[in-house]
Amino acid sequence: MNIFSAGLFKQMLRSATPVALAAMGGLMTEHAGIMNIGMDGMILIGAFVAVSFSYFTGSAAIGVLAAVLVGVLIGLFFALFVVKFKSDEFIIGTALNILAGGATVFLLRAIFNVKGTFQGTADRPLSGLPLINSSFIGNIPVIGGIINGNSLFVYLTWLFVPLVWVFLYRTPYGFWIRAAGENPGALRTAGISPEKMKWISSILCGAFCGFAGAHLSLGNVTMFSEGMSNNRGFIAFACVIFGGANPLKVYLAALIFGFFDALGYRLQEYRISPYLTSMIPYVITVVMMVYVVVRQQRRRIAQKAGE
Amino acid sequence: MNGGIVLQETVVKFDHITMKFPGVLANDDICLDIKKGEIFALVGENGAGKSTLMNVLYGIYEPTGGTVYVKGKKVTSFSPRNAIDMGIGMVHQHFMLVPSFTVAQNIVLSQEPRKIGVLFDSQKAEAAVRNLSNEFGLKVDPSAVVRELSVGLQQRVEILKALYRGSDILILDEPTAILTPQETDELFAMLKKIVREKGMTVIIITHKLYEVMAISDRVGVMRQGRLMGVEETKNVNERILASMMVGREVIHNPFTRTYQPGKVAISVKDLVVNDNRGLKAVKGVSFEVRGGEVLGIAAIEGNGQSELLEAITGLRKIVSGDVMIMDNSIKGKTPGEIRRMGLAHIPEDRIATGVSSQADIADNLLVGKHKSQEFTRFGFHMRKSAVTKYAQDIFKRYDIRAAGINTRVGILSGGNMQKVVIAREFSFETPVLIISQPTRGLDIGAIEFIHSHIMEKRNKGCAILLCSADLDEVLRLSDRIITIYEGKITGEFMADEITREQIGYYMTGDRSREDVNDAV
Amino acid sequence: MLSEKKGKTQKTKIIDWSYLFSLFLSIVLALLVGALIMAATGHNPGKAYLALAQGATGCSSIGEFFTSVFTKRQFGNTLEYTMVLTLTGLACVLGARVGIFNVGGEGQLYLGAICSAQVGVILSGMSPWLVIPCAVLVAMAVGGFYAWIPGVLKVKLKVNEVITTIMLNSVAIYFCSFLSNGPWQTTESTRRGGTQTLAGELRFPRLIQGSSLSTAIIGSAVVALLVWYVLSKTTTGYEMKLIGQNSRFSFFSGLKVDTITIWAMVVSGAICGLVGMFEVYGVKGSYQDGISNDFYFDGLLVAMIMRYNPVGIMLMSIFFAFLKVGATGMELIAGVPGELYRIIQAIVIFFMAAEKGISGLVKANVEKSRAKREAKQRLKEETV
Repeated sequence: MNIFSAGLFKQMLRSATPVALAAMGGLMTEHAGIMNIGMDGMILIGAFVAVSFSYFTGSAAIGVLAAVLVGVLIGLFFALFVVKFKSDEFIIGTALNILAGGATVFLLRAIFNVKGTFQGTADRPLSGLPLINSSFIGNIPVIGGIINGNSLFVYLTWLFVPLVWVFLYRTPYGFWIRAAGENPGALRTAGISPEKMKWISSILCGAFCGFAGAHLSLGNVTMFSEGMSNNRGFIAFACVIFGGANPLKVYLAALIFGFFDALGYRLQEYRISPYLTSMIPYVITVVMMVYVVVRQQRRRIAQKAGE
Repeated sequence: MNGGIVLQETVVKFDHITMKFPGVLANDDICLDIKKGEIFALVGENGAGKSTLMNVLYGIYEPTGGTVYVKGKKVTSFSPRNAIDMGIGMVHQHFMLVPSFTVAQNIVLSQEPRKIGVLFDSQKAEAAVRNLSNEFGLKVDPSAVVRELSVGLQQRVEILKALYRGSDILILDEPTAILTPQETDELFAMLKKIVREKGMTVIIITHKLYEVMAISDRVGVMRQGRLMGVEETKNVNERILASMMVGREVIHNPFTRTYQPGKVAISVKDLVVNDNRGLKAVKGVSFEVRGGEVLGIAAIEGNGQSELLEAITGLRKIVSGDVMIMDNSIKGKTPGEIRRMGLAHIPEDRIATGVSSQADIADNLLVGKHKSQEFTRFGFHMRKSAVTKYAQDIFKRYDIRAAGINTRVGILSGGNMQKVVIAREFSFETPVLIISQPTRGLDIGAIEFIHSHIMEKRNKGCAILLCSADLDEVLRLSDRIITIYEGKITGEFMADEITREQIGYYMTGDRSREDVNDAV
Repeated sequence: MLSEKKGKTQKTKIIDWSYLFSLFLSIVLALLVGALIMAATGHNPGKAYLALAQGATGCSSIGEFFTSVFTKRQFGNTLEYTMVLTLTGLACVLGARVGIFNVGGEGQLYLGAICSAQVGVILSGMSPWLVIPCAVLVAMAVGGFYAWIPGVLKVKLKVNEVITTIMLNSVAIYFCSFLSNGPWQTTESTRRGGTQTLAGELRFPRLIQGSSLSTAIIGSAVVALLVWYVLSKTTTGYEMKLIGQNSRFSFFSGLKVDTITIWAMVVSGAICGLVGMFEVYGVKGSYQDGISNDFYFDGLLVAMIMRYNPVGIMLMSIFFAFLKVGATGMELIAGVPGELYRIIQAIVIFFMAAEKGISGLVKANVEKSRAKREAKQRLKEETV
């Protein structure tokens, strides 16, 4: 059996998508000068909200919408502390992660009376997000099998990434967000409040993370399990750093992570210990982080030498 | 301007403006009228309150008391946006530019021309910048990335940014601090032109008195938050202005000295050092300093003297060449190892490098000798009582004005903070002292104190390398002087054989200037 | 990242009463919010908190508390967990003091646990006087080494240590699972996964029967005191403090910034490894997956809340241990999900941050209006 089958790359897309979506939000705050390590908590809450609303309304779409709206609220909450109260963003991010972990488990018991995972009840199954199949696309040689038949979110991500790029690099609003982080004084003396931009970036981040969480619980699988964000928020953050907060490069980073994640699953079929394969994505992330920094420094040395 | 008795209209009026920050009265009941079409210079020492007053005008601060009138209208809401709407533009001392954006992007920031309502129309923006550029004679490339521009060009972008918003009142905060004399001349010519041709009003903040004389119509002197007086520039000269600035005639008493230098203590040979961008900042410099002498470096900021001193003290890597401290090579050594060779250093930036703002005075005084027998038991257990006694002793001897030795250094005034730095560094009793900008931003009393301590060290036989942007300080303290321009030594003199003007000439390294004595 | 004392304090105070007050207030408010949440989900808050106290002390009345609390196993658990929090909190402080954030303590703990456990397995049959010190050394060496990696990456290559340590945590935990379910798995038929159960003589004797409290607490106390001593009374602690405050100044003054920073990380990791060893030799008797239930993470929270003050951490550990151990009682007796304690933890942090932020804003406003009034007054006086 060929390990590099279409299935592997499809899994790569599935794994990469929530990370990529969260990373889109993460790079908003990064450009605005905020280090948001609470993304993991935001994703987890998004996943829970999506499942809850999908269950109670029977519609996955409403679940997704609710996750995004709650994400916006969380973004506001985060900005209130980090921008208005000037709290340490690391502490608030960490507290958010703790709150998310505790609250989702608590509510899982309190609302659904369940421990561990929730997949809907016998009389009311959870409705997840559909896969999109098109025979036309499926027939494209080589990549057709990969591109076709994915969750809606995968395709939406392909739409979002260039949109975010245009937003940041071709619209004034993107300029203002970037200026807020790069030189807030420049923005302020031009008449725009950098604080307002930070609020906005925080809201956008919350929305994206909520969206990512919804994909995790409704698009990937159709359930909520305790701690299902599984450090995706931190990996998303690493992707933001690796990609220099450029949406295209960040998506590439997410794909690399997704690839190794999928590879890990595949290797399990070759009787390699699942524990070892689970390590792979995390090791890759560390390697990516080191690579970015070393490359930056090499550039600096090259600059010096070449004059 | 033209001598005619024309009642010029008041374009900006400060009416009893007070600006209070916690613990500091930055502006104290200022009443000032700025006339339309004039170039008004606002002078004063560092901390006099000039920038604060202009920041009030630009809406960055809301005044604690008093009223501001712009073009006859009372200002009710203070924000940069309102200031811009009223026609005020400000060029700040530290540029308010986004380094990764293009020139055009920076200039049109917040008022970007758009396509389809949401997209940035870069072509329109660049065209607008080109028009503006031609109109005012300020040449820039709209598509250049700001990060890669020279300092002079960046300032041009700052000015264009203000002009783009249609301002007719232009505030410039210390615009010549980082310009070469050539760039300064160009700037002043441009300012005079736009005032003449466009009827603009220019307010220039500076502490360089010869610039005031060169460009302004009227000048206002501020001291410690108060406006001491406003005069027509043609009715004053530098001496009068200086005395208004400090409250008395500034007479630098020269120190009596005998010049008997000892052995060579610092030896710099063909030193090459890079700046933060990887470009050569020091381009092959050689000199020596002997025991018992002060060698003063006179240079305009940004000509490599900071990098030179950082290399000598181990804070920056040496690219090629070498430095010997007491006959020991410092190449590749850490600051700690260099210190052990017999060097102490008063750094250029006291807050970032000279102290730990969050620690108290006692802790700051102790660094460097915290492992000595005097303050520890067995070399690692700290004896608080010994430390306290030592700190209190220094506190008294140096007359540090603070609540006590447990005061956080971060809240001390510049002068007292510098006293802590000097007390510590001088207490190491090293044969070599590297001193950089020792009295920047300090008041007369502190300056006198520090100067006499430096002379005391010199007279005890220390080899002192002094670097200062204050020419008077360099002349007063040095036995020998070297001038540096663009990373190279352009002249070496005995202090008593050269005048201020001649040093200025060599500091610019520009040999083609004919009438060097015209400048002042 | 380090919380600094705000400019209002002129001197470096010994005890910051206003901070303690706001901490107390935040805790009270958080408990109130917890009560609201419980009421909203159909539980009785009063009963629940009582159950919490019971779960932490094993006593159901004040009288019983004063007479026999030291015989109760729940109280033993609380005491043991207090020491765990103290040690992990201090490990965190060691890094924080020099400005480096060791979030990887969990991974260091796991590796220290499994390696020291395996030492006991390999050397089984030999004298405890040989095995125990070996286990201690191995635990500290492994933990220290694993912390050295991100430390060096940060110091030499400037790689952000937060992400690397979080990632390395997962790597370590998975690797330990691999070992304990693979090559190092026990052969005992009664257990699935984990290392071989250690011989009784190798384990720390229990102090309170049925609880996790063992004589390991003595070792913990010694380590804690040592760390406190080094941080507050020695030249090393002094240098660490300055490096964390201003590393450029420290470098300029001749301190060995890089060396000290890396060593701080190594010692921090070593302590975490030691905690892992104590858990194996003092509580569980072998390494099992999930040997640490977020021990280091909890300690990190305590350290953050107490602003990295060693004494404060030791005191606050009691409260948080009380909360965590009691939460299981709360679940068993009153049916309230134990996760509530995490929610309360987070709320405490949010309340404290909000209080700090709001009081900062209020102070600025008060100062502004006062200055305005003064200016008006002076103007009046002048124009009269």
